Amino acid sequence: MEFVRSFGRVGREGFTMSINHPIKTTRRAMLAASTAALAVHAVGAQAAGSPGDKIRPIVLLSKPQASDPSLFQAAQLAAQQWRKLGLQVTVQVVSASEQNATVWNKRDKWDMTTWEMVGRPERSDPDELVFSLFNSSLADNGYDFVGYQNPEYDSLAQAQRQELDRPKRQVLVKQAQDVIGKDVPYIYLVYPRRSAAFNNTVWKAASIVTEAGIGIRNFWTFIGAEPLGAQKDMVLNCNNEIDYISPVRMDAIGSWVTDLVWDKLTRVGLDGEPRPWGADSFKWTSDTTMEVVVRDGMKFHDGTPITMEDVLYSFELPTHKDKTPQFFPFVSNIDSVKQTGPRTIVFTLKAPQASFPTTTLSKINLIPKHVWEPLLTGMTGKPDMLENFNEEKHVGSGPFRFVHWRNSEEVMLEANPDHWAAPKLARWILRIVPNQEATLGMMKTGEMNFLSLFTGDPRVLAELPKSAPQITVVTETDLGFQFLAMNLRRAPFDDPAFRRALSASVSRKLMAAAAYNGFGVPAGSCVSTALPFWHEPGSLIDGGDVKKSADMLKEAGYVLDGNVLHYPAGKKETLAAG
Amino acid sequence: MVFYAKRLAHMVFVLWAIATILFLMFRLLPGDPTIAYLDPSFTGEQRQMILHDFGLDQPLWWQYVLFLGNLLHGQFGLSFRQRLPVTDMILSVLPNTLLLTLVALIAAYAFGALVGALMAWKRGGALETIGIPLVLATRAAPEFWIGMVLLAVFAFGVGWFPAGGATSPGAVFTSNLARYSSADFLRHLVLPAFTLMIYLQGLPLLLMRSNMLEVMGEEFVIMARMKGLPERTIMLRHAARNALLPLVTAFALGFGATLGGDVVVETVFSWPGLGRMLVDAVSSSDYPLAQGAFLMIAAVLVTMNLLADIAYGLLDPRVAHGRR
Repeated sequence: MEFVRSFGRVGREGFTMSINHPIKTTRRAMLAASTAALAVHAVGAQAAGSPGDKIRPIVLLSKPQASDPSLFQAAQLAAQQWRKLGLQVTVQVVSASEQNATVWNKRDKWDMTTWEMVGRPERSDPDELVFSLFNSSLADNGYDFVGYQNPEYDSLAQAQRQELDRPKRQVLVKQAQDVIGKDVPYIYLVYPRRSAAFNNTVWKAASIVTEAGIGIRNFWTFIGAEPLGAQKDMVLNCNNEIDYISPVRMDAIGSWVTDLVWDKLTRVGLDGEPRPWGADSFKWTSDTTMEVVVRDGMKFHDGTPITMEDVLYSFELPTHKDKTPQFFPFVSNIDSVKQTGPRTIVFTLKAPQASFPTTTLSKINLIPKHVWEPLLTGMTGKPDMLENFNEEKHVGSGPFRFVHWRNSEEVMLEANPDHWAAPKLARWILRIVPNQEATLGMMKTGEMNFLSLFTGDPRVLAELPKSAPQITVVTETDLGFQFLAMNLRRAPFDDPAFRRALSASVSRKLMAAAAYNGFGVPAGSCVSTALPFWHEPGSLIDGGDVKKSADMLKEAGYVLDGNVLHYPAGKKETLAAG
Repeated sequence: MVFYAKRLAHMVFVLWAIATILFLMFRLLPGDPTIAYLDPSFTGEQRQMILHDFGLDQPLWWQYVLFLGNLLHGQFGLSFRQRLPVTDMILSVLPNTLLLTLVALIAAYAFGALVGALMAWKRGGALETIGIPLVLATRAAPEFWIGMVLLAVFAFGVGWFPAGGATSPGAVFTSNLARYSSADFLRHLVLPAFTLMIYLQGLPLLLMRSNMLEVMGEEFVIMARMKGLPERTIMLRHAARNALLPLVTAFALGFGATLGGDVVVETVFSWPGLGRMLVDAVSSSDYPLAQGAFLMIAAVLVTMNLLADIAYGLLDPRVAHGRR
């Protein structure tokens, strides 16, 4: 390991950051060490001053155009800019599953890739993205798939997680964004602007509300939507198959359903902040203890009341890591949960966690102990996972009751009139409609009265009200973002100066206009502009000037020789193309 | 009897070969079944747990032995994605696909046989002049395009039929029989079946026409004319009946082929069917479901092939399948 560190010192400034830090002794680290050792010999062998090796052709992985035309177009535009800098860039189209498998499981086998982080209500707290995406401890097989390693960032990310004072935490979150802005592990593109629509002759317009960063397809719309006439059923669409409807598991679309069928102690409000729901109140009583007063009189759909035992059990069940691995992280920071009064429980955390009310309390579904305890007991000692269990009947306590789920067809819920926040609509029917163009027609004919997502050309949807005034379209900037990721494990992407130059050659404004047809907001950080309190506006450095990027590369020692970019003096190419 | 036994053994061999190819194909394709789990909480340890749960941490040969063993028991295993028995999942959508395919295929072959016969009979007439280019055009037109045109006209334009799904939103039925025989289901079936029929009618029509032309030159037709039989009788009773034979084979094979190829129509009309399930399974590396769905289609195809052979022998005793 000493070799690696010393190389870090002899290397140029840019190199120091990514290599000069403690590396765990893994096979990968050993390989990196031997590569570096070779490079050190090369430094000695070469005379200073002459350019290094030619940079190998770079491969940028992208999903097919059809699966996300804007992101595909953005990749092409960026590649075009980089070619002007003397790089040979190929955009290689791969299937979504191949892209995922390569980027995720073959971490040292790719150069660049298009990627997207999607918006979800719990991401209204910046913690999940700020903490996970660039955390060195997650570089080997967690969410830091680009392999960014920076102890300064790690401590900032940790500090914001533990800071309970909002203004102080805001400063830390913004600092974290600034660090990323300088180190450029990602080339951010845009926060997409997504549109949804509803039929304004079926639903009272004022009852359809917008959640920050999420849009009108949200919990508050579904419980508050007011029917204007005889049509009291909400018929909405999704474009993909639902895999699971389970209170102890996450699923892209299944979560829309679990959100309505099961209650939680808190819910993320329209402003993106957590608010009491199954709780009357929640408050920090120390850095690591939170007191929650549970709402009285809640009932499960099978008629049994929610007891304090049920509430405690809801937080205990996910601690069985081998049975509910997906939900385990939400409770992993909980040291204990105890009942301290008739309706009061106290959470004691292992470490302070500011996002706790959002990332844990609004996430854990309240489940009936009498249903789940026997299931867990039955699985003890077996390899089966509880999160893979498909219930025959779903017993939640939420404002909607489960009626049926037909594979490839629809999920139907009905309003729970006994709920304290009983919905005004009668049935919530989620239709699986893979044909995106047909959804617009269905909205016109009334077969559907709520368009929850549309992945076709957003301009077509925006134009729809002109020919169908009964349709109201609402567009909202997403919590998620799209970007081009670089593999920081592989030269030349291990050099921040190189990454900065690449990033500076891309104009986000042009990108948002040309590739996204205006349905994107230029992005500079992992915290969306949809969260103005946490977003750092200074993180956006809009580039586009190839000349300036070329100068940046020159300054960092890269040499343009016969229209082909070379590494700085003494640096060898150690990887094959692709 | 020996013939049937041989055919049956042949069928089993074909299915085994298909099963083996499927098994290997999915495991060699790029992609990873644990990808569906990607989330900030996803760790390498979790991935190992999932691979273990899926049995993918076992050596390939052992996975293959287990797979064949399960198949012999009629088990396709559990879907990776939904952890439900593959057999149940397939059976939940199979009736939709079977009904769509059968209705479309029967309509296409009935239409194709009749119009094909008529075209041959009135050779050189106006019907043929207009008909042939029209048939060729619809045969060449992509299914999704035909589907979208029908949607635009009959669903979004005049509003006669619903645009998607197999039943109305929220429709509840007491039994499967009640569902499949309901007016609601049939109304939803019209457009997808019609699209598929337009796409399928070209083959039987052209086949019938050319068969008829051949048959019409045969002596027994001339004989019938000499007897003074009415034209209609000659055409339907004598000529068409004989020209129908190759259509039986085409129908049987077409059934199997269509069953797997319905995915376009199923997607355009949001029809809950086997084709869509298959595409989803492949794209999410859900090996057990994809294997099960493909095998099911292969089994139907092979069975239909066998039935065609048998039916051929019954319809035309001259075809003796090498029996002595």
